[in-house]
Amino acid sequence: MARLSNSMWDRYKYKVNGLVLILSCFFLYKNLFPQFPDAWSTKSIGSFEVTPMPYNLDSPYMHDGTYTKDFLLIFSQGEVADIRQAYFNIGAAPLSLTDMQDADAGILHGSQHGQEVHAIAPKVIQADHRAWLTIENWQGKLKTVSWAIPKNLHL
Amino acid sequence: MAKLSNRFWFKLHGLFSLPIWIIFCFVCLTGTISVISHELTWLTNPDSRASNPQQLAEKPKSQLVDIVQKAYPTASISTVMSFESYIANTVIFTDSDKPYAIAYVNQYTGEIQEVIQGLTFKSFMRSLHAWLFFPWQNGYSIGYYLVCFMAFVMLGALVSGLMIYKKFWRSYTQPKLRIHQGKKTFLADLHRLAGVWSMWFLILMSITGLWYLAQAIMWQNDIEIEAHAPVVEVSQLPYGVADTPVRPYSLADAVNIAEQKFPNFKSTYIMLPEHFRDTYKVYGEGDGIFYDQYSYGVTVNPWNGKVESERSPEKMNALQTLSHIANPLHYGNIGGLWTKIIWFIFGALLTGMSITGFLIWGGRTVKAAKDTDNQRSIFSKVPATHLVQQDGK
Repeated sequence: MARLSNSMWDRYKYKVNGLVLILSCFFLYKNLFPQFPDAWSTKSIGSFEVTPMPYNLDSPYMHDGTYTKDFLLIFSQGEVADIRQAYFNIGAAPLSLTDMQDADAGILHGSQHGQEVHAIAPKVIQADHRAWLTIENWQGKLKTVSWAIPKNLHL
Repeated sequence: MAKLSNRFWFKLHGLFSLPIWIIFCFVCLTGTISVISHELTWLTNPDSRASNPQQLAEKPKSQLVDIVQKAYPTASISTVMSFESYIANTVIFTDSDKPYAIAYVNQYTGEIQEVIQGLTFKSFMRSLHAWLFFPWQNGYSIGYYLVCFMAFVMLGALVSGLMIYKKFWRSYTQPKLRIHQGKKTFLADLHRLAGVWSMWFLILMSITGLWYLAQAIMWQNDIEIEAHAPVVEVSQLPYGVADTPVRPYSLADAVNIAEQKFPNFKSTYIMLPEHFRDTYKVYGEGDGIFYDQYSYGVTVNPWNGKVESERSPEKMNALQTLSHIANPLHYGNIGGLWTKIIWFIFGALLTGMSITGFLIWGGRTVKAAKDTDNQRSIFSKVPATHLVQQDGK
């Protein structure tokens, strides 16, 4: 039997789902014109000058059993080819190279034009935490530098 | 068990597909276009074509990398991909003025035909189809789940449709499409006919869709289907050397190792090391026709030439097998261009079914709504006292 109610909702409720597709247009626009948080200050570490930038202001996420936060690191000075291995972690202190080099979590990768890193992080970033970059060069020299973490990334 | 009436199945059939019919139709349409996205690029962009009038042999991928590196000395090349023989290889790189660039390199002539930055048509269509561009966060995208949910819609619509049209096999032996008996009859015949003939396709799309859903749940819960390629032990890297060492094993060596390991191996996806503990990742296709173009491969240690990990259908567990056969079955690239055309035709039929289904429903409900309006307007003209008398009869 035909439905007797003929309200606007009854007429269009099945078509309302199409509005979801408008979100696709919005997300496509965001994809084409991404907005990133501010880059942090540029710091020197050995022969390198590095500027980190978080990809977003979200809390760390679980990836391969490790809480992780993603960053882009721009090397404005120094050749990344001179790096034997480098790691980025967030915490009260830098993790020891001996621990980090057992796996690949937190290792810097990419190119001279931009190094990316899934930084090893705690589940919750707190005020006393800093971001630590540890670089080992081919001569075996180890250098570490740290950044204070902006408040907008704290709990 | 009580027998369910046709009316129930009709209602269920409508409930499965009507409430989200626009999204369903959109997902079907974008999927249909995605099937031939490479070919559409080939048609619309001459620079993407791998023309080979002189019948030259295909150049090795390592040579294509060298060609791009020579043309862009400051570039850092990350990936090389190949597709059908008529489509140019793509070499992906970054440069000081290019955060992400794709070079179309003709694999026969070695000519860099175009360098593009940003989204390609193929990536656009496949991202739109697979997750509607909804953002990814913590390993999941709501859009991806939304699209996967269509597998239930399709399966539900198929089962309920078959329960309504119980003697569906007649559509194979006596196909019926009445074109001169009004729009309603034509649409209903078309909907039924397309549904029955696309049954295999609906089942295939539903099953692969359910697999994509399972995959999404595993991604979100950090359950690895395929283990990450191992990194090089730090002890294998040179230590205490004055200059940056050169990796003793080249990309050409890594491809050669893969080719020796698998008969009829053709590399389709190569990733170069992204740091000094990284490996060459050489993936490709081999003898298994139902497997995707990444089902065979090795990761090669660039410092000692050792194979760090290996991938082939023989060594896959059930989940890995599913993950490698899902895409060819879903996108129809099992047998090259011809199977893609078949998938495109049935994708178009499926898109059409979502439209004819809506038109059938729309015809019924709009007519019913008009009838109700007419009834109301007739009653509004009848004196109230008369209505009371009528009711009192």
